[in-house]
Amino acid sequence: MRLEIESIDIRDIRLSSKTHARGRVLNIHLEELEELILRDGRIKSVDIHVVYPGDRVRIMNLLDVVQPRCKIDQFEADFPGFVGRLRIAGSGRTRSLRGIALLVSNPCTKRKYSAILDMSGLAAELSRYGKMRNVSIAPYIADGIEERDFEDAVKIAGLRTAVYLAAAAEGHRPDEVEVYDLEISNLQRNSRLPRIAYYYQMYSPQHDHRGIPDPCFYGTHVRDFMPTIIHPNEVLDGGVVGHHTIRSLDTYTIQNHAVIKELYRRHGKDLIFAGVVFGVANIDPVIRKRKALMAANLIKNVLGADGVIITKIHGGMPHVDVALVGEECEKLGIKTAVYTQPLIGVGTLADTLLFNNEALNLVITVGATFERVKLPLEADGILGGTAKTKVFLADPIDQYAGDPMIDTEEMLIAGVHDHLGGANIIVKEY
Amino acid sequence: MAGKKLNVVHYLNQFFGQVGGEDKADVGFTVAEGSVGPGLALQKELGDRARVVATLICGDNFFAKNPEEAAKEGLRLIEPYRPDLFFAGPAFEAGRYGVSCGAICKAVGGKLGIPVITGMSEENPGMEMYRKDAFICKTGLSARDMLNSLQRMTKLAFRLVSGEKNMNLLSRENLPDPGEYGYFPRLILRNEYTGKTAAERSVDKLLAKINGEPFESEVMLPKREIVEPPSPIADLTQCEIALVSDGGLVPKGNPDGLSGRGNLRWTTYEIDDFLPEDFEPSDYEIAHTGYFPDEVLGNPSRLVPVDVMRDLLREGKIGKLHPTFFCTSGNATVSRRCAEMGDEIGAELMKRGVDAVIFTST
Repeated sequence: MRLEIESIDIRDIRLSSKTHARGRVLNIHLEELEELILRDGRIKSVDIHVVYPGDRVRIMNLLDVVQPRCKIDQFEADFPGFVGRLRIAGSGRTRSLRGIALLVSNPCTKRKYSAILDMSGLAAELSRYGKMRNVSIAPYIADGIEERDFEDAVKIAGLRTAVYLAAAAEGHRPDEVEVYDLEISNLQRNSRLPRIAYYYQMYSPQHDHRGIPDPCFYGTHVRDFMPTIIHPNEVLDGGVVGHHTIRSLDTYTIQNHAVIKELYRRHGKDLIFAGVVFGVANIDPVIRKRKALMAANLIKNVLGADGVIITKIHGGMPHVDVALVGEECEKLGIKTAVYTQPLIGVGTLADTLLFNNEALNLVITVGATFERVKLPLEADGILGGTAKTKVFLADPIDQYAGDPMIDTEEMLIAGVHDHLGGANIIVKEY
Repeated sequence: MAGKKLNVVHYLNQFFGQVGGEDKADVGFTVAEGSVGPGLALQKELGDRARVVATLICGDNFFAKNPEEAAKEGLRLIEPYRPDLFFAGPAFEAGRYGVSCGAICKAVGGKLGIPVITGMSEENPGMEMYRKDAFICKTGLSARDMLNSLQRMTKLAFRLVSGEKNMNLLSRENLPDPGEYGYFPRLILRNEYTGKTAAERSVDKLLAKINGEPFESEVMLPKREIVEPPSPIADLTQCEIALVSDGGLVPKGNPDGLSGRGNLRWTTYEIDDFLPEDFEPSDYEIAHTGYFPDEVLGNPSRLVPVDVMRDLLREGKIGKLHPTFFCTSGNATVSRRCAEMGDEIGAELMKRGVDAVIFTST
């Protein structure tokens, strides 16, 4: 399977009477974009803004962040199952706009917490999106639409807008073309290089809002999936998207999946990239054991891997789950590197592990995502909410988006941490 | 650094304070104006930026008999000197001295909110006891390392009073790097920027692991104690059973202020009042952000099974339901505090003569 990602470095975003890109400037016709978003009857109205680094603007209720991308050589093939028709993602040519992101807010959310982003101050410094020029959309719910159904509508509005923006750059010369070409069925069997697979814990049901799982894979949810082999290009090219909430993970991060890109980068030089198995965190111990056994078996006896990188989704229960996958892999002789996020800010690093198995002797810390930071901001504007939008804190404290200082956790600032390994952050004992 | 000269108070034991050797270890506190013994070298290191205004001296045995009380007394004695900085020791490998240095640093830092710096070797018992309460610089085993240790302590002290933000930390706090400044980490974890992404690090390290080369895990495995299960209950019909839960079920308004994550408290509620048979779902809330609480809020017995316990009681299958429910919120709470809360709740249950506990989690 061969995927070419043609990237254009966008230097500026301007409003215009025609949506197009020229000279690395993206021009957007707001009314046309608004009309596109309002084609979904679940959406009554939408606020659209362009925000720049340094703006004293706070964006609330973020449900997703998306990199503008579209397929170049395939029709109705973008984000299959969400926007485009069902087909397997990951082959052909894709246009990608770098330096900008689409910020998708759900101002009507009833969830306890959503992510935020400030375009200036500490949040902007910490977040990769704080340094980009961004388009913010905030759709409002139409009468009679159910809460979860509306979340799907917001999600799809974001993906559709991302496609619309990238499509507008047709004819613009790319700044870089990356090729992701891997024939899993015909891998270099005779290579002496170690074969490395990737286990992608893609979902955890523990935060299912109203008990309903978020769709994130070809238009469906994966809560009940068995461990499944997929091609890494499917992940990079829109087969997988973020959940309906950002806990250090969003569609942008998945489109730029750091572990997959790193394994590609070193494929044929230091290692053979043996493929991807994705799985889901499980609450039930018997199901967890069965799925861990299946995952390890696929990695060993189908992909033939010598080693595996195991990433985890946010939360404590998924921590136990990745450990069991790791243990079963090690039992089969597959060497593991297991990712964790320390969930506490006190104690030693050893105190943060929810497993204790000597075989799991290589643990990677992607970041203590609950670390608290204070964000001072005299906001000129608040998007995706109002000055009275409540800002979540686990402590019993009431605070609002318009407060001159808010206290939050880094996992709720979009673009700071990255469960998929893309951030150059490590957790240290201080 | 411009501005006024910093006031420093220094703590020493009887030996370094030149009161005497082991025979003077029972002598209580004295305060000397200016610097004494190693304090002279400390003053030299401090230069003209800070002045040792007083030296607090106490016998090792006197202090070690009741460290907390002694620390309080020591604190009272030095408060009039209005220190901006406090040094203790260094104590090197000396156990009683290390505990004294740690305890007095804890008292001074806690009350006055100024940087408190001491020095110990890794084996000194005072290190583990007080590492979270003081900046404890790493030292050698004996006074042969005095000058080196004082230099390290002074360098760290000036870094702390500078108020300089550590831009390598995401939180930007004024926290010097423990490796660079040679102190024992203080049992807090922080996110730090590093040269390579987690993806790059993990592939590097995994390849080393596969190739049989040395690799460094970013987390070392914990040492866990093995808890022996108690013997089974002989006769349930004679047994008083208590309900304990870490699911964060609290009255509406969360009057005891349990945190939804990283909670450090536990509390109790009387079952007859809190969980009556004719409960109102709207009377409750969940102080726990780790699970979706709709099921429990619809019927709190889904978390705290009083309904089943009442049935068993009526059927005569259990002796008694303990009238008090023990409640905490266990969600990303550090295991050290969980163990403490377990000890506290366990002691209270033992005092009340409870025979068995049903502990429900989420």
